Amino acid sequence: MSATSQTQDPLLKIEGLHLSFGARSVLNGIDLNVMQGEVVVLIGASGSGKTSLLRCINLLNAPRSGRITIGTEKIYDSGPDAGAAPGKQAGTNQIPLRDVNRIRSETGMVFQQFNLFPHMTALENVMEGPVTVKGQDAAKVKEEALSLLAQMGLEGHENKYPRQLSGGQQQRVAIARASAMHPKVMLFDEPTSALDPELVGEVMKAMTQLAKSGMTMVIVTHELGFAFEIADRVIFLDEGRIAEDGPANEVLLHPTHDRLKSFVGRFHETANLLRPFLESSG
Amino acid sequence: MFDFSVITQNWPLFWNGLLVTLFYSAISISAGLAIGLVIGLMQLTGSKFLAAVGRVYVEIFRNIPLLVILLWIYYAFPIFAGLSITKFWAGFAGLSLYAAAFYAEILRAGVQSIDPGQTDATTALGMTYSQRMRRVILPQAFRRMIPPLAGQSIIQIKNTTLMSMITVPDILYQASYVSSFTYRPMEVYTFVGIMFLVLLVPLTLVSRRLEKISETVK
Repeated sequence: MSATSQTQDPLLKIEGLHLSFGARSVLNGIDLNVMQGEVVVLIGASGSGKTSLLRCINLLNAPRSGRITIGTEKIYDSGPDAGAAPGKQAGTNQIPLRDVNRIRSETGMVFQQFNLFPHMTALENVMEGPVTVKGQDAAKVKEEALSLLAQMGLEGHENKYPRQLSGGQQQRVAIARASAMHPKVMLFDEPTSALDPELVGEVMKAMTQLAKSGMTMVIVTHELGFAFEIADRVIFLDEGRIAEDGPANEVLLHPTHDRLKSFVGRFHETANLLRPFLESSG
Repeated sequence: MFDFSVITQNWPLFWNGLLVTLFYSAISISAGLAIGLVIGLMQLTGSKFLAAVGRVYVEIFRNIPLLVILLWIYYAFPIFAGLSITKFWAGFAGLSLYAAAFYAEILRAGVQSIDPGQTDATTALGMTYSQRMRRVILPQAFRRMIPPLAGQSIIQIKNTTLMSMITVPDILYQASYVSSFTYRPMEVYTFVGIMFLVLLVPLTLVSRRLEKISETVK
């Protein structure tokens, strides 16, 4: 679960990222490197820009300026003039759309509201990306999709439609759908916030399993306990800037930033009781 | 009081009229759907120019009464354009262009009713615009559009009777003709009403069945 070597190039590299919605500035210069196999959790109050940052990585949000590199390829580059003039909503991307689509398919995204395709079965949802986007052989994709669904504990649900599945099951189908593309990095946008409390655990378990398999992950979540458990690194965003960045232990248990202190306050009340146990296992 | 022998005696006229009604219904619904698809998609491409053209089309044909459109195409357009037009083309064009405006609106609303999260999901998978429309958005939108499309098509079949005003020999035109020499308007127009009930009530039942399919994409 930890970053292997510090000398290698980062898998995901974000440089000087700015994002605005109209006149409102959402991200104010984000610099972030994520290494191969690293699990990074983004936390912050609502409106701090964590979901916006995640959605910039595969350009679901169009940044105003900056540079984003996935693997060795740039997916976004606003060019030398930076295009950061205030009021300008989206900077022009120098990367052609054809390349953007291809590089996008190397990131997998899991959404708060699952966003499964309601007219397709669980199996068809998982097969859709590899077959339609990558043009792979349907029979071969089907085999892999079945095994991915099985890994997610969804045996026997392959031919059900999303509306016939619980929220937790739908979210696990969504994780399988994203994994089927063999992404280099997986992005999770508050994957458990739309779930009933008793269903949260099964989705967390599926994500932990994925993290153990060596997947590089960037996760936005409000579940600080889960963040503590799964993250190699926790990043606290405040007003569109990275306010704190470090190992889960440090950021969540020994925060220095004032806002972060109050943000993790409630978590601390529980964590203090559990600290001896948490620190020995962490 | 009712003497329906006028119907049986003039059956060939009614039969022909019915066939003409069905023929114009079929061709104007097909052409209306095809034109409506283009007009509807024009408003969804994101091009401001195409959207404006589509919008203007819809507002013109949706807000001018069909009877005015038919009369204008048949009587005014030939003078305006300096060429003659047959009643077939006038009727066909008027009905199709009018229907297209309504079909375009149904299509546009159907596509726009699809949750933006679906677009996010397809984008994240790396799909292109056409893959997204073909594989995800349109299949869902069409399921939702079935009930309004069926409803609009039933209205369209009824609207064909307006063609009698430009002397297209549909069932209403034939009825007026029969009534003019038999002096039995009561039987003749009652019969026309019943014919439409016989034709359209089963269709409304089918469309209600189809609504069940559209519920599968809630």
